[in-house]
Amino acid sequence: MRLLRIRLRDFRGVHDREVRLAESGVTVLEGENEVGKTSTVAALDLLVDFRDDSKASPVRAAAPAGRDAGPEVEAEFVSGPYHVVYRKRWLRRRLTELTVLTPSPEQLAGREAHDRLLAILDETMDRSLWLALRVEQHTPLGQADLGGHDALSRALDLAAAGAGGEGAGPAADAAAEGLVERALAEVRRYHGGHGRPVGPLREAGERTTAAREEVDRAAAAVTEVERDVDLRAELDREAAGLAEERRAQNDRVRELEDRWSALQARRQEVATSAERAEHARERAGRATERQDARAALVTATTSARDAAARAEQVLAGLETRDGARRDDLAERRAAADAARAASDTATAAARAAADALTTARDRAELAVLRGRLRRAGTAEEARREAARAAGGPCADATAVERLEGLDREVVAAEAELTAGAATVEVTGLAAGATVTVDGTEHAVAEGATTTLPVADPVTVGVPGAVRVTVRPGRDGAAARRRVADARAARDELCSTLGVADPAAARAALRAAGEAAARVRELAAVVERELDGRTLDDVRAAIAALVERLPAEADPGPATPPRRRGARRAAPDEPGLFEEAGLLDDPADDPEPEDLEPLRLEAVRTLDAADAAHRAAREAENAWRRTDEAAVAAGTEVAGARTALAVARSEADRRSAELADARAEQPDDALAAAATEALARARRHEADHEQRAAALDADDPTTVEALYTTAKRAVEALVARTTDVDRRRAEVTGRLQVAGGEGRHDRLAAARAELAAAERQHAAVTRRAAAATRLHDTLARRRDEVRRAYVAPFRREVERLARIVFGPSLTLEVDPSLRIVTRTLNGVTVPFDALSTGAKEQLGLCARLAVAALVDAEDGVPVLIDDALGHSDPGRLERLAAVFGAAAAGSSHQVVVLTCTPARYRGIGAARTVTLDPSYPPPEAVPAPPTEPAGSPESAGPTGDPVPDAWSEVG
Amino acid sequence: MRFVHTADWQLGMTRRFLGAGRVGQAVGEAQARFAQARLDAVAALGRVAADEGAAFVVVCGDVFESNLVGPDVVGRACEALRSFTVPVLLLPGNHDPADAALVTRRADFARRCPPHVTVLDSPGVHEVAPGIEVVAAPWATKRPLSDLVGDRLRALEPAPDGVVRVLAGHGAVDVLSPDEHDPAVIRTDGCRAALADGRVHYVALGDRHSTWQLHGEPRIAYSGAPEVTSHEETDPGNVLVVDAGPDGASVRQVRVGRWAFAREDAMVDTDDDLAALDARLGGIAAPERTALRLAVEGTVTLRQRTRLDAIAEAHAPVFAALEVDAGAVVTRPDDADVEDLGLTGFAADAARELADAARDTADTEALDALALLHRLAVAR
Repeated sequence: MRLLRIRLRDFRGVHDREVRLAESGVTVLEGENEVGKTSTVAALDLLVDFRDDSKASPVRAAAPAGRDAGPEVEAEFVSGPYHVVYRKRWLRRRLTELTVLTPSPEQLAGREAHDRLLAILDETMDRSLWLALRVEQHTPLGQADLGGHDALSRALDLAAAGAGGEGAGPAADAAAEGLVERALAEVRRYHGGHGRPVGPLREAGERTTAAREEVDRAAAAVTEVERDVDLRAELDREAAGLAEERRAQNDRVRELEDRWSALQARRQEVATSAERAEHARERAGRATERQDARAALVTATTSARDAAARAEQVLAGLETRDGARRDDLAERRAAADAARAASDTATAAARAAADALTTARDRAELAVLRGRLRRAGTAEEARREAARAAGGPCADATAVERLEGLDREVVAAEAELTAGAATVEVTGLAAGATVTVDGTEHAVAEGATTTLPVADPVTVGVPGAVRVTVRPGRDGAAARRRVADARAARDELCSTLGVADPAAARAALRAAGEAAARVRELAAVVERELDGRTLDDVRAAIAALVERLPAEADPGPATPPRRRGARRAAPDEPGLFEEAGLLDDPADDPEPEDLEPLRLEAVRTLDAADAAHRAAREAENAWRRTDEAAVAAGTEVAGARTALAVARSEADRRSAELADARAEQPDDALAAAATEALARARRHEADHEQRAAALDADDPTTVEALYTTAKRAVEALVARTTDVDRRRAEVTGRLQVAGGEGRHDRLAAARAELAAAERQHAAVTRRAAAATRLHDTLARRRDEVRRAYVAPFRREVERLARIVFGPSLTLEVDPSLRIVTRTLNGVTVPFDALSTGAKEQLGLCARLAVAALVDAEDGVPVLIDDALGHSDPGRLERLAAVFGAAAAGSSHQVVVLTCTPARYRGIGAARTVTLDPSYPPPEAVPAPPTEPAGSPESAGPTGDPVPDAWSEVG
Repeated sequence: MRFVHTADWQLGMTRRFLGAGRVGQAVGEAQARFAQARLDAVAALGRVAADEGAAFVVVCGDVFESNLVGPDVVGRACEALRSFTVPVLLLPGNHDPADAALVTRRADFARRCPPHVTVLDSPGVHEVAPGIEVVAAPWATKRPLSDLVGDRLRALEPAPDGVVRVLAGHGAVDVLSPDEHDPAVIRTDGCRAALADGRVHYVALGDRHSTWQLHGEPRIAYSGAPEVTSHEETDPGNVLVVDAGPDGASVRQVRVGRWAFAREDAMVDTDDDLAALDARLGGIAAPERTALRLAVEGTVTLRQRTRLDAIAEAHAPVFAALEVDAGAVVTRPDDADVEDLGLTGFAADAARELADAARDTADTEALDALALLHRLAVAR
């Protein structure tokens, strides 16, 4: 089909507009939003789909807003051999007009026109392809559903044949496609998803299952009756058997009962005899008991009397011993008192002796202390003296050594002087000559020579003769000065030390050392005498002792030591050192008293006091023990008296009792009665044993057991009979109920139903299998065919798409002509995963490929409403080339609607139509024909004026 | 003395091929008519008895299909019996043995049972009328362990003068029984001996649904069912009118049944055969009372097969039952079968593939698929 011209009047916002399309190639309709581009396409649909009397919503939506006018569409197109003009107006002044120009002119109106047009379109145009090749505004430009279009199939068929395919006529495949659909519908009647049975197949299955269950139930019901019938027969037999058994058992019971009754009577007799024997035994027992009681009474009476006599004797003995014990007690008391007095005396004596001893000891102690004190004082004084001696200037050993050193220096200096000085030799010439040397006369032996050094001026004279003074020269002056200095130092130290010369100093030093030794000695004496105590301590002890000693005892022994002490204590007494040995001798102390007798006396008296005290205590203890024994014995006597009274009373009572009993029945009568009763008891027992033995011999236990068992058996039989009767009644009742239920009929019906259900199920299953088989076969064949004609389609799409994507592009297309994947530069991407732009571009290529493939006679326009919004400028340019390539060698029609004309500039459109708004003229004024320049130079076949603006660029 | 010998009424019997009502629903139309036909046969034999002046009617077992038939069956049977004008003796057989569930002891039977009906539920001699005795050998259980007829005969003395004695028994006779070891089989020798020494004068038997007489001894006979019950039966639908006496007996067969359970064979290889079959089916008399089993064999094309099915489908509603066993029909689709479809493109390829499969490998599923394709293609 080719659209030549579309005219809208009062259609939505368009007042009146006619658009002419290029017969082949691309026509671009450009215009601003709301100018009515999409309305142009919608108008075509309306024109075909709705009769002029329709009031469907698309029709009503097409009415112009606010104006009382019916929308009108007129289209001129070529489809197959037909060239027609078709006009329609809805709602107001309805109108349908069809003008067929070729092949034979026709003029139709109204319903007729509509039907005729549809017939023409059905005959010549593939409407589904027309819809598939359209790209609506605002819908993504995706894949077109291209499978199953007659025109395309024919085209692909041709292409496949041209490419050397079999060409067996897949042109009819579109028709066959419907067959596949129907086969699938047939399959769907029986199978849902996943082969799940539905519809008749499911019903048949359910019917079979239900019928089988019903057969099972009905058969079970019948079987139940059959079992009951058998059971009833069984029970009948059992009841008869039981009756027989009961008769036999009853006979047996009667026989055993007779035997048992007889034995029962004899058993009664045995019991009676046993009772009798028991009775006699009891009476004998009672007689014997009475006899025993009498004997016991006699014995008790005798023993009570004996007890009373014994108690009397005991009491007498006790009383005698008690008197003796009281006498003894008095004696012991006196003895104890005496012993205590003796003890007291002895104690007093011991105390006196002890006092005497103490006094004597104190006195002795005092004397000793006084002596020590005195001696210590003397020693102390001596020590002080010695210390003074020891403390002199020469006591310093160092100073003395220094002095000696100085002295040696003097000697050395003098020796030096002498050695270096002139010498004077004096030689005796005659015996007995004398010379003075420095005033000192020296005898000079004949021939002896004395050499004198002249260190100092030496004067040598012969007495009375001459005096020669020799003076050293000047060269000995230094030595002389040194000697003088040494002498001066020595003499100075001597004076300091208080000695004349070094020898004296040495002596003084020795004396000081001895004094120091004496000091140490004396200090030891003081230490010994004071025995670690200070003098004050000793004096305090002496004072304490003096205090303690009785005055009258003191003067005697105290005076002499004091006297002697005073004498010795004279400090200035000479011979201190000589008397030093006396200090250690205590013989000077007063003679100590002889304490030994006193001590012995004290010990002796103390021992005596102890002995006396022990004796006193023993005596007292003895007395106290005796006293306690006496008290105990008294208690014993009182007890014995009570016991005697009790024993006497008991003896009296027993005697009275015995007397009473004997008065009632003498002893011998009692004995006779007992003997007689015993004998009778023996007789009765013998009788009973005989009877019992006789009964046992007849085995009554066994008979009784047999009898009981037989009776129980009868009872059991009765119970079983009852049970059988009850079960019979139950079964009979069940059978009666079941008989009226028609269970056989039910089973027969159920079986018939099952057979029918199974037949039906088999038939339906077979139909379902047939449908599945048919569909599978058809679908498989179809896919094979499609695969054959996919190739030309794919070639064409690839040819176009390579212009956009480059030469490395390959596509995979499935049998329903959908692009499955795109492979570009070796990278394969599923179609759905492609970008929106790429999808859009491939979708456009596919549509243009179809348009290029389909024969011009069969073809339909490709209609693209404002697509390619997702393509970048570079791709747009290439797409423009695609339009060109698609148009080359083909005469199909492409209509592009756009509000952005720039997008399609490069297409090289056969025609570009710019749409301007088309408003209705003002109400009052009739619309003047305002025709812009370059307006309609070509008149349409209808010859209608074109009142509104439209332009055409070719 | 004349009486009517019948047996095996099998009241309450249904036949599956007569169609089933759904569970809980009434039985199908043919089934109901068949049930009524059985009762009609009973009524008819009652009329025969009256017309022939029979002294009584003895029914030798299997009066009811089961002891467990419903009250409706029992009630209708009683109504049918009510129309009889002569005494009727009912013998319990193997389908309705005289056990604890015996249908004729049930309350619903007792309530409706007409007074001239006697149930021979205890073995022994029953006097029907002075000079007429019937010796009953009823089944007490479904599995008897001895020859019940023989047992009865052995206990008999020869009939007194002036008394005609008829034995009523049920079960297979030894010359017919396939099971030689069945202890309950009826010994014909014993029967012959009893007839010879005059203990009985006629042995009336039930159990076999076709009329049958012992070869050379017409006094030992099966009457057969009064109305057909199975396709296997050779001569059903009769009652025997017996004139018995000490000197012998004469037996006449009278037809009372009106239904036919028929078997037919047909060869179909050509369109002519199909036409002949069509005509043949159309020519069958009283098809509404006929249950036909048609066994077809031959080799046909798909179109012929379709036509065969169409013929069967067309005649089926007229018959009480029409069962076509086409198991022996080989369907071989030919090229014309496929071309007939007017298919092109891959659909034609698919049709050829199915036809080849059906023809070469006897693939019935492919055949069915092809038939379906026919239907779908035509529906287009």
